[in-house]
Amino acid sequence: MTTTIVLQQAINGVVFGSLYVLVALGLTLIYGVLVQINFAHADFVTLGAFAAYFFMHLIGAGYILSIGAAFLVGAALGWLINASIFTPLRRKGNELLPLIATIGVSVMMQNLMLAWFGPIPYAFETQYSSQVIRFAGIFVSWQNIIIIAVSSVTIALLYAFMKFTFLGKALRAVSQDRETAGLMGINPNYLIMLTFVIASALAGMAGAMLAPVLVLTPFAGTSVIVKAFAIVIIGGFGNVEGTILAGLIVGLIESYTTQFLDPGLIDIVVFALLLLMLAIKPTGLIAERREENV
Amino acid sequence: MGFLFAALCIIALPLIFNDTYWRTNLTICAINVLLALGLDFILGYTGQLNLGHSAFYGLGAYVSTLLIVKLGIPFWAAFAAGVAFAGLAGMFLSLFAVRLRGHYLAIASLGFAVIIYQVLLNWISLTQGPLGIYGISPPPAIVVGGTVIVDFRNLTAFFYLVSGFTMLVYLLLDQLVRSPVGETLTAIREDEVSAASLGINGAAWKVFAFGLGAAVAGAAGCFYASFVGTLVPDAFYVSEAFTILAMVIVGGMGTLIGPVFGAILLTLLPEILRGIGDLRLVVYGAALTFVVLFMPGGLVQAARMVQEKLRPAGRGP
Amino acid sequence: MTVTFRALVAGIAAIGLLAASQATYAQDKTIKIGALFPMSGPGSYFGAQDKQGVELALEQLNKDGVNGYKFAVQYEDSSCAPLPATQAAKRLIEQFKPDVIIGEECSDATLAVMPIVEQANVPLLNAGSSSIKVTEPGNPWTFRIMPNEVMQGVNLAENAYKRINARNAVLLFENTNAGIGNAQVFKENFTRLGGKVLAEIGFGRDVNDFTAIATRIAGLGKIDVIPTYTLEGQGLKITQALAQAGITKGGGGDAIQIGTIWLPFGFEQKAGKAALGYIRIVQFDPTDARNIVKDFITTFKAKYNADPTHLNAHAYDQIMLIADVVKRGGKDPQSIRDGLAATKNYSGVTGSVEFDKTNQNTKMDTVHYMETKPDMSWTSLKWN
Repeated sequence: MTTTIVLQQAINGVVFGSLYVLVALGLTLIYGVLVQINFAHADFVTLGAFAAYFFMHLIGAGYILSIGAAFLVGAALGWLINASIFTPLRRKGNELLPLIATIGVSVMMQNLMLAWFGPIPYAFETQYSSQVIRFAGIFVSWQNIIIIAVSSVTIALLYAFMKFTFLGKALRAVSQDRETAGLMGINPNYLIMLTFVIASALAGMAGAMLAPVLVLTPFAGTSVIVKAFAIVIIGGFGNVEGTILAGLIVGLIESYTTQFLDPGLIDIVVFALLLLMLAIKPTGLIAERREENV
Repeated sequence: MGFLFAALCIIALPLIFNDTYWRTNLTICAINVLLALGLDFILGYTGQLNLGHSAFYGLGAYVSTLLIVKLGIPFWAAFAAGVAFAGLAGMFLSLFAVRLRGHYLAIASLGFAVIIYQVLLNWISLTQGPLGIYGISPPPAIVVGGTVIVDFRNLTAFFYLVSGFTMLVYLLLDQLVRSPVGETLTAIREDEVSAASLGINGAAWKVFAFGLGAAVAGAAGCFYASFVGTLVPDAFYVSEAFTILAMVIVGGMGTLIGPVFGAILLTLLPEILRGIGDLRLVVYGAALTFVVLFMPGGLVQAARMVQEKLRPAGRGP
Repeated sequence: MTVTFRALVAGIAAIGLLAASQATYAQDKTIKIGALFPMSGPGSYFGAQDKQGVELALEQLNKDGVNGYKFAVQYEDSSCAPLPATQAAKRLIEQFKPDVIIGEECSDATLAVMPIVEQANVPLLNAGSSSIKVTEPGNPWTFRIMPNEVMQGVNLAENAYKRINARNAVLLFENTNAGIGNAQVFKENFTRLGGKVLAEIGFGRDVNDFTAIATRIAGLGKIDVIPTYTLEGQGLKITQALAQAGITKGGGGDAIQIGTIWLPFGFEQKAGKAALGYIRIVQFDPTDARNIVKDFITTFKAKYNADPTHLNAHAYDQIMLIADVVKRGGKDPQSIRDGLAATKNYSGVTGSVEFDKTNQNTKMDTVHYMETKPDMSWTSLKWN
């Protein structure tokens, strides 16, 4: 195997990995603050992709702007889901019910999108997806560069937000100990809403960036979501650094499994890794400081 | 008393609905009731968040079918093997996840279901994968002294077989739940730590329950294969697990009669709604969401509320 | 007197109306066609387009009817999977009682439905499933007008070896019945002729990014042809990835993508330069000079404001073929079945139809070869 191929697959892995990270970050943020999983997260990704598509094709806006549009659509959806499902169900205290409600939402969203957009794949082409940079036998498309650039900047901003700003610290406080945080004058409900909005906005944005890469149908999100769950656990529920690391690892697993084994085995490898992690270190790659009866 | 009534209903149904389309629907209802019962036992009675029930369904179907088709093993022996294999897989998963709780177990079970599905899909030399296995026969006819008493190619006969088996499973689970075992399981579900202080080995019971629920799913899988006659991995995609979950929730988790109604309703609803075409799955998802939001106890809760309203308000002066 | 007279008039009028309505009833003969198409889930891609073709044909036929018959279609959602398909078939047969059924698209579903139609003695006309098992062994009630995977694979391998002088191939296929089956046939025949298959790469329907696969292929050395078996969505991504990796002509390489039977007209506009040099079998050739094809395209465009794909064309042909059978005297399941079997040199939009003894249409002019030119247009290669 030439080093070129190995290097190329590494680049491929990082590109896709960073997209997974964007999707998984939303899930992990929600879990960290709410200890809940939003099963419809994948469909936010899909809807973000469609929003970007229509924004570009109906209004004629540029691609970068359409990413912004998808970000906003995602944010709106996140607010809606939180207000209509998670907030009312929180009082009931059952950890399973919200998950199931979001499964119902997911089914509804997918089939509504199917009814509106139809099953025929949309070809989302941007001027970046066909332009390729080649050097030393490696090729990268401009689309991929955008993906890496936007993802890195977003992740860095998010990380800084969580670590250095007051709101970010408040979010971490709420995720570690909600009652005490409440006593400190932080309004947990507001923070939870904020978390949802950010997480879903990230999902929408990921959708806009995935759109040129994915086969764009109403079912596009499902191909990503199950792996996103795996990433969240491998990285550690609620842990941002862990999710980033896990996402990149999964991306690399995909490209190297394709190279040396078979694309059909990707899911098996990823989930075997997941089960392995659960057996050895359920708290994830980077252990959370939080006390939790795992 | 209730069982007599149920038995009479079961006997009467295929005679009332005497076309193949509706009889097929009834049989699928019965299979889905089996699946829902098994999942409810795991989920509602021991509180283990199992999102991968489709794996055991698929394992039961494939193990039994492959034994019959490739090794010529007789039907009921293969059936037993399929059930046992699924049950053991359930116990294995539970054992593996015994330290995990809540969402970790949920994702682990989901991961398990994905792996099983991918294995069924990719191990083509063993399972035929997407190429499929065709021409699977129903159980062999019951022959006494040279004459055929029951031919399971007859839809009514097959329906009686599956629903009879389902009733037996229901009775078994019902007895189990009413016995001291049931109290033990409830104790574990409500507060495992306190239960441990009473000397209850929570882990062992959870593994047992998971195995039993999975075995029941395996049986459903065997029936499915011999009923449809065609086996492809896509029938056991992870979304199936969510469908079964919906049946349990909509029916009423933690009761035994709940999953029965949930399964029947959610099996027949898409068929009844066929007329509205594309939107029927939207309705399906909406039903699930709204039940969870407004009536988390499902149909059972709704039935109880109706019962309350119908009861006389109070005694006279 | 007046009352009795009025009653009499009313009575005669009533009887007259009754008689008239009976007469219209007797003239209003309908051929009932059941349609098993996937309308929900990922397979709805097929169903939506099939319905368009069917509706166009119905519109044209029902203007004047055929032999005094009009045509009515009942659609049932078979979801491209065995259990829903058998459910839909049973419901169709029991409630609508069709004279003939068309469908399904996916091989799994078709194979599952075949025993049911055989038992019900209703003919099934298929134009979407490529698995050889549909007609081998098949059954006397199932007919297929599209070329099966063996017909296409043998032909493609021979043309690759002899006309393009290909010696090295890499197979790319989706992990489904149709994808695996087609790839296998190509491999067997290509190697039999003396070619070499450097790699066989199967992928699931949920794979989105083909850069990793393209990278792997790029490392395999000299490749002449890349037979690709997949649907439009993934096909688009594959073509672009291969070009990005510099493997195919569209990206500056030498390899030619061949194969796929499911890429509609209009693919090039979406794929762009990457599709240059793509040679593939299509089952509907929009550049076909025959009048029947030109008229079909014109009327389709007029009704739907879009170019027809092979899915539209197949569905249209299915209905038109049934109409032809009715013209020859078919009027109920048995006579329609016999009429189908006796079809000789019927000319459809997708090609000619004549069934062999396994009810497979063996006319090779249903296998059209197209190549993508630099200006993104199609040229028919006229290899058949």
